[in-house]
Amino acid sequence: MELQAVLMAAGGGSRMTDLTYNTPKAMLPVGNKPLMWYPLNLLEKVGFEEVIVITTKEVQKAMSTDLKIKDVKMKLDVVSIQEDGDMGTADALRHIQPKIKTDILVLSCDLITDVALHEVVDLFRAHNATMAMLMSKAHEFTETVPGQKGKKKTAEQRDFVGVDKSGKRLLFMANEADLEDGLSIRKSIMRKHPRMLIKTGLVDAHLYCLKKAVVDFLTENKSISSIRGELVPYLVRKQFSKTASASNPLLFLHLFLFWCPELLISSRDEPLLQLAQERSCWNDHRGDMSEAYHGGKLRCYVHIMDQGLCCRVNTLAAYIEVNRLAPKLFEEPSVHPSADISERCQMGSDSIIGAVCHIADKTSIKRSTIGNFTTVKEKVKVTNSIIMHGVTIEEGCNIQGSVICSNAVIGRGADLKYCLVGNGQHIEPEGVNVCVWYLFISAKCLSQLGKFLHSQV
Amino acid sequence: MASKGGKQSRSASGLSCRKGAGDQEEEEQPLQAVLVADSFNRRFFPVTKDQPRALLPLGNVAMIDYTLEFLTSTGVQETFVFCCWMASKIKAHLQKSKWCRPSSPNTVHIITSDLYRSLGDVLRDVDAKSLVRSDFILVYGDVVSNIDISQALQEHRHRRKMDKNISVMTMIFKESSPGHRSRCEEDDVIVAVDSKSQQILHYQKTQGLKKLQFPMNIFHSGSEEFEIRHDLLDSHISICSPQVAELFTDNFDYQTRDDFVRGLLVNEEILGNQIHVHVTQDGYGVRVSNLLMYDSVSSDLVRRWVYPLTPEANFTDQEGHSCTYSRHNVYRASGVSLGHGSQMEENVLIGCDTSIGANCYISNSVIGDNCIIGDNVVLDHAYIWNHVHIASNVEIIQSVICNKAEVKEGVTLKKQCVLAYDVVIGPNISLPEGTVVSMHHPEEEEEDDDEFLSDDAEVGQRSDKTKQKVFNPAEVGAEGKGYIWKASSLDDTEEEELSQCLWGLVLNPDPESDSEDSDTDDPDDPVIPSPEMDDVKVFHMEVLGTLQRGLEENISCDNLVLEINSLKYAYNISLKEVMQILTRVVLEYPFQQQGTHLTPSQYVTLLLPKWAPVFKNYVKRAQDHLDCLSAFEEHFLEQESHWAAMVKVLMNMYELEILEEEMILRWFSQGATSDKSRQLRKNQGLQKFIQWLEEAEESSEEDGE
Repeated sequence: MELQAVLMAAGGGSRMTDLTYNTPKAMLPVGNKPLMWYPLNLLEKVGFEEVIVITTKEVQKAMSTDLKIKDVKMKLDVVSIQEDGDMGTADALRHIQPKIKTDILVLSCDLITDVALHEVVDLFRAHNATMAMLMSKAHEFTETVPGQKGKKKTAEQRDFVGVDKSGKRLLFMANEADLEDGLSIRKSIMRKHPRMLIKTGLVDAHLYCLKKAVVDFLTENKSISSIRGELVPYLVRKQFSKTASASNPLLFLHLFLFWCPELLISSRDEPLLQLAQERSCWNDHRGDMSEAYHGGKLRCYVHIMDQGLCCRVNTLAAYIEVNRLAPKLFEEPSVHPSADISERCQMGSDSIIGAVCHIADKTSIKRSTIGNFTTVKEKVKVTNSIIMHGVTIEEGCNIQGSVICSNAVIGRGADLKYCLVGNGQHIEPEGVNVCVWYLFISAKCLSQLGKFLHSQV
Repeated sequence: MASKGGKQSRSASGLSCRKGAGDQEEEEQPLQAVLVADSFNRRFFPVTKDQPRALLPLGNVAMIDYTLEFLTSTGVQETFVFCCWMASKIKAHLQKSKWCRPSSPNTVHIITSDLYRSLGDVLRDVDAKSLVRSDFILVYGDVVSNIDISQALQEHRHRRKMDKNISVMTMIFKESSPGHRSRCEEDDVIVAVDSKSQQILHYQKTQGLKKLQFPMNIFHSGSEEFEIRHDLLDSHISICSPQVAELFTDNFDYQTRDDFVRGLLVNEEILGNQIHVHVTQDGYGVRVSNLLMYDSVSSDLVRRWVYPLTPEANFTDQEGHSCTYSRHNVYRASGVSLGHGSQMEENVLIGCDTSIGANCYISNSVIGDNCIIGDNVVLDHAYIWNHVHIASNVEIIQSVICNKAEVKEGVTLKKQCVLAYDVVIGPNISLPEGTVVSMHHPEEEEEDDDEFLSDDAEVGQRSDKTKQKVFNPAEVGAEGKGYIWKASSLDDTEEEELSQCLWGLVLNPDPESDSEDSDTDDPDDPVIPSPEMDDVKVFHMEVLGTLQRGLEENISCDNLVLEINSLKYAYNISLKEVMQILTRVVLEYPFQQQGTHLTPSQYVTLLLPKWAPVFKNYVKRAQDHLDCLSAFEEHFLEQESHWAAMVKVLMNMYELEILEEEMILRWFSQGATSDKSRQLRKNQGLQKFIQWLEEAEESSEEDGE
């Protein structure tokens, strides 16, 4: 076993609370499959046989009943952690450290990608890297997002990623927010890598190959709690820190005080590999005549996808986008065999109908996903929407560009455009068409809406 | 670098085709060039006292000829040569050369003036005389290049067409990794460009810098990919729009091209002018800006990297200058005689009618015309110009010997020696590394040093003075003639040394000084209290006054900070000094109020609590902590009697969260520089305090980076 896979599935989805109010993020349906199925499938496809899944009790329970997850043939070693324990990803790794026997591949449950995983792993292997990660060009979201008027500018700060000429070696990483005084690079780095590409439009896919030593390092250095936030920038920075030179006593002291951990990571280079490097004439760079990697033992690499799908489902916009794109990755019948669909129903080929659905006459379903156990009654029009499991849509509804969460009931003749209907909510049946433009209908505001509707009638 | 073969075919075709291409664009103006045949510095002094730099021989051909050949082969049809220092010599040279023959495809106009002091002056004159009509090439008279700039020119014109007059200059760079021989350390630049448009966003000389700073606004151009390049060598060739000359006129403070580039980048948002780069991978383009570069360009030339400009090509079309080329890059002109047993190892160029004695060993050297070299001479990386006499048993390593110099028997020249015109050395003397000998007395130069920055200082008038001075036989040998110019190093400031140093910086400075500790703060940055200047003293008094007033009138700490900040700007005080002064003022304050006899506890209570917010405002970064602590230490070193209070003050500062424990520990462990400060650290109270801190740290299991 070369790599152990670790799936981080404990995230709460704090950036899309409207969706994750009742369903944990890992179990959100995307194309009628739970979100976490996608990374599991990614791993299964490349031949992993065992995955450590770090998750919450809630998800663990949901996993045990979910049909899709049951289909996964890999052995899932589920480790549940406390939900409210405020554990970061690095904390979680530290938690499972006893289980880690080899280098690891960590990925997040919200990653949907068709990346050739070996690209990342090969970088990791070829350079005997400390870390290899995956990034991709930022995705432009095209769909209108419910509850948002117009296009929301992404207020998030850009990440600055510096790679070398080959585009693989990761040299620099910082967030715009930390660069108020300007971007600063040490000249020694520029001497070693005289041509640095600074890229900004990238997103981190949260997929990392890490050396086992890094996990051991984490157990000893408890101040790091998040992989992306702290560990990765730390590793990138440490690539160019001075290796031990005991000649200067002052420096040595510093080493002792501050850099102990770094020593730990680098000292585990296998002697055989070192010998191979000494004897070979291969070099990773051109220009100056110094040894390969300039003698550095800590190396970080990044694979940047320039085509294909790579998306993290961490916002509502991404969720909607991915629902549109993800099904195209898999060639499966768009209509589940157990669904009961009336002959006289207009259905676009780009729609997905889940198991045990009832679709009545004279309905029209276009570019939408309809979850399991959902009932769609007569004369309903659904376009561009995501309907989760167990939803009932009464006669004559018109639903457009909306997200309707599980177990909601949409009353007769409702007209929903660009709405988000929360879990288990009931939209009152109305003789008059209710037109709810750009509105959140979630648990919080539904009572008010109800009152409003009553007063209208 | 690319293979030679590829270069040959490209350049050869370039020479013949380019004219044809030029004809096709009939609407186009003929391509013009501005050649600046003056360096406006004294790097080649004392050699350039007798001959302008552009005429110094490189591979037995004057440097300006390479530049003109380059321009002509790129398709330039009209060249303006601007001369200043020794203009008449340059003029005479050019009039004799093939460039002024009627058959020359490149019309050369020579413009001379004594008033040019910089590149800026030249370009202002270009504007005043409105010499250029369209895009022109700007180049120095000491550039050796075979770069095919037609592509760069096309890109430049395309850019100019696309958005009117925004791109004003395209700088041509050659790709060359750091550490490469032909890289000029003084020209070490870091350039940030937009990957897509190749627009320069940031341009900085990196010499002596440890950290490279890029302002954030350069990344706001909307592009997603930027390149930071440190592998570029400035060829000092640029394609300029006519606006460049106008901009120089508008900004009379622009002296050099660097000024111009910097000014344009800073004002980009206002003026909207942009500068672009063109990077060539296989061309050769280097400016001979110092002797080290002279050395490497000469060897590159002999090794045929500058093809088709090779020694045997005789592109200057001078009679009697043809030479034969044999393997190991050995070139011999006509009339060369070589004694028995003499070896020409490799990369050797020998000019016509030179005779070499027996049993000589010559490698990597260039020897000019009409030289006479004796027996048993060893030459390595020696550049010997014309009419030089070298006697027997001489050893010369990496040195330059100018016209008509004479080296007598048994002389050894160590690395980087220069013998200027007509100097005589020896016999039996060894010149140490870096010796420069000239017939001009160094003092005569110094006297007019202040007035002129250009090459063109009026010299030669003081011959009477020179005669009074005698040659020192200990320096130049018993029969020697000449004055030592530079005995190894001058104790000048770096700036001045740079302009004086003939050879330039060593290519590979010790692998550095690039202290690689990755923490943002530099922990081994020595905390040196800067020399107290008057401003600093005044500032000290003002701060004291401010704080005192603050206490008397109960001014809030926010306002105090404001006042101190404005004082800081008024007196131009660095943040570090503010830290130190503030700490000292606060510590000294009680004494000034109450006299020197105070009990420790009184001392403490008087002190800090009131001003804690002021401190907190300034002490933020790790370095601030250390600065504060060092000022603190300094104060107590002077006031030995108050060591008892020291711990209390420190404790107080720690409890008020002005100082962090980590920093105190760090200061304690590393700051000791003198006996006394070591003694201070042995103070019992302090030791106890530190121990207490360490324990506290362990218990909290805090082990920061």
